[in-house]
Amino acid sequence: MTQVLSDFVKALRAADVRVSTAESIDAAATVETVGFAERGLLKTALSQVLAKSAEDKARFDDCFDRFFTTAELAALGAEAAADDAGETGSDANEPGAGGSGGDGSGSGDGALVQLLEQGDTAGLQRRMAGAARNVQLQNIRLFTQRGMYMRRILEDMGIEAVDDLLHALVKADDDDARAARLRELKARLVENVAELVDREMLLYTANAGTRLREEVLQKTPLARVEMRDFKVMHELVRKLAKRLVSLHARRRRVARRGRLDVRHTIRRNIEYGGLLFDTVWKRVRVDRPKVIAVCDVSGSVAQVARFLLLFLYSVNEVIPKVRSFAFSNHLGEITELFETRPVEEAVTMALNTWGMGATDYGGALAELERLTLEDIDHRTTVLILGDARSNYSDPGDRALHRIHERARRVLWLNPEPPALWNSGDSEMRKLGSCCDRVEPCRSLKHLERVISEIARTAI
Amino acid sequence: MPSRRRRIEAPPGPIHEDSEHVSAASDSPARTAIDEIQQGFAASGYIASDAIATLVYLARALSKPVLVEGPPGVGKTELAKAAAALFDKPLIRLQCYEGLDEARALYEWKYGKQLLYTQVLKEKLGDLMAGAQGLKESIARLHEFDDTFFNEEFLEPRPLLKALWAEQGAVLLIDEIDKSDQEFEAFLLELLADYQISIPEIGTVRAKHPPLVFLTSNNTREIGDALKRRCLHLYIPFPDSRLEQRIIETRVPELEARLRGQLVSFVQGLRGMDLKKVPAVSETIDWARTLVLLHANELDNQLVRETLNVLLKFQDDIEAIDAEIPALTRSAVRG
Repeated sequence: MTQVLSDFVKALRAADVRVSTAESIDAAATVETVGFAERGLLKTALSQVLAKSAEDKARFDDCFDRFFTTAELAALGAEAAADDAGETGSDANEPGAGGSGGDGSGSGDGALVQLLEQGDTAGLQRRMAGAARNVQLQNIRLFTQRGMYMRRILEDMGIEAVDDLLHALVKADDDDARAARLRELKARLVENVAELVDREMLLYTANAGTRLREEVLQKTPLARVEMRDFKVMHELVRKLAKRLVSLHARRRRVARRGRLDVRHTIRRNIEYGGLLFDTVWKRVRVDRPKVIAVCDVSGSVAQVARFLLLFLYSVNEVIPKVRSFAFSNHLGEITELFETRPVEEAVTMALNTWGMGATDYGGALAELERLTLEDIDHRTTVLILGDARSNYSDPGDRALHRIHERARRVLWLNPEPPALWNSGDSEMRKLGSCCDRVEPCRSLKHLERVISEIARTAI
Repeated sequence: MPSRRRRIEAPPGPIHEDSEHVSAASDSPARTAIDEIQQGFAASGYIASDAIATLVYLARALSKPVLVEGPPGVGKTELAKAAAALFDKPLIRLQCYEGLDEARALYEWKYGKQLLYTQVLKEKLGDLMAGAQGLKESIARLHEFDDTFFNEEFLEPRPLLKALWAEQGAVLLIDEIDKSDQEFEAFLLELLADYQISIPEIGTVRAKHPPLVFLTSNNTREIGDALKRRCLHLYIPFPDSRLEQRIIETRVPELEARLRGQLVSFVQGLRGMDLKKVPAVSETIDWARTLVLLHANELDNQLVRETLNVLLKFQDDIEAIDAEIPALTRSAVRG
């Protein structure tokens, strides 16, 4: 029984539900009190013990339904009952539960034929589950292993005896009807086993592929990510942004030295008989950052513009006060677009409206200054995504300088590798002098570092 | 109220929300216990879904705290109150807010009493020290007395400590944990995991009877993983129309059945709309009471417009919904 449960926990983890060891111990205790007998009850109870957020609950429900099919659960219930009743029952009914393979085979072989011919579905189920456990089906990883596991399960169930009997019947040639029936039953059994193997494989490996892909995508330079991975990327970026924000979401309080908090000081010093001995200073709550994000969507960064916008969109989703802008030769605000449209539509619309022109950093930054300077204060972080290639025209460093003077800080993320900065029409040096930091931003790993930075040092 | 009693005595069996129950298993001990809890709740006027009853059963069986999340007004706090009534335990409530600290949640020293004690001590000190030779002996003699300043005599228990000290066990409700600071959440961990609390001057205080702990959260911020790991977790959504009807039936028995059906289906329709704040169960109950007071016997546009402010708490929402009222009322009346 614990084996079943730990397999289930394994399946849950494969489905991205985070289950700690302590929780799986709780789950075992839950199963002990609730039992396997009633499916609905077991599901409610386990979901309360194992899944601790709305998303987890949805994943849990799905996983539970796939893991515990009704028939299997009934078999488990019967098995548990048999365990309770003691080992006195006939061993033919549960060869898989006790001894593994070897010693059970003698009496078990005959039983399989019996089970088949009597049409004892519950017994067969139990037998199949036992065999699956014996051959450690939960370790299946690749679909090429399917055949091997199927054969092993059938062998463990004692298919050999059935084959022998079939041979004998055919040779003896006296009972054709029985042979035909047995052949049919065997075919059905093989089908069932195939189903079982497929289901298990889906359970334990469902997410392995995605996970591998996500891992690779995180390190791939943005320019080389394919369009078809857009959805995965979005999910990934959103996950990343959400994690970072919740990590830093705790609103910090900073003590302002020099300002006494009289009320709290008196309160705290009652224990010293009213002598002001232990002083308390006034505190200021540090709020979440205000961000103004500007994204270059011109031809020179066309490759990555889509992902930069995607990133902006995700930042918009998780940080409450973000104003977003896009520009190539003109600059426009896209905050509302991001707030009202789904991601793909928003990104495409932003690209179509503002993108594909020749970059004009001078004009764009001047426009930015006009639109936002009023709004920029000591709490604002200005984030600029672009390659700083201004087509040999005015890079707009003066406008940026004025913004920098008012803002808390200006960060520049450049999708080009640092070796290419300042080459050709890149004005990174000039523009970089008006920024607090200039960072290369070529893959999700870079993005992660940058958001973390914004969230952590925000004031 | 006799009419209400009668209604409650014949509940139509436990509500089975899942259709997945295996009928043969309904006699398992866990199932019986859960059904009992559900009926007990129903008798005290709290209609619990299957999941809620299971949760309470598990919380007692595994002696684990419970974290209940859900939109405001679905009966999270009520659940703790009903549980206290059902198990006949005192309900100890701790309302969380920003800046809640140990002194207000756990314990505080009775400073006034300590000061008085010092005065008394000063007076008696002369008698005690009489005959002591020199400073060394005086101090040695003083040491013979226990540390009388910091013991339970001078401890002023706050809700958490009260719950641990309760002789017969208690139901501890930590309300709106999401409103408290993260530091406080961390501070709760010891209590939730082992039902004990460390007081630096005294040592560890262990619960005589583990209290049944309910934490509620409106999800204004994400609760930490560490806390979640130590709790059973339940999300209470808005009830479906059958459950809501039963709730209204128990809470406002004066409302006649036909109007109740109309009212519930109107509210359910309202929840599907894009509102700043959708009406919760508590608002449905308020509305039902209002309709009883007004002696209404059927929903119509006029009545809905006049009483909508009971359901919707934002002027924006009321205005936004105005055009939809006829359609909603019509479908509600038609059933």
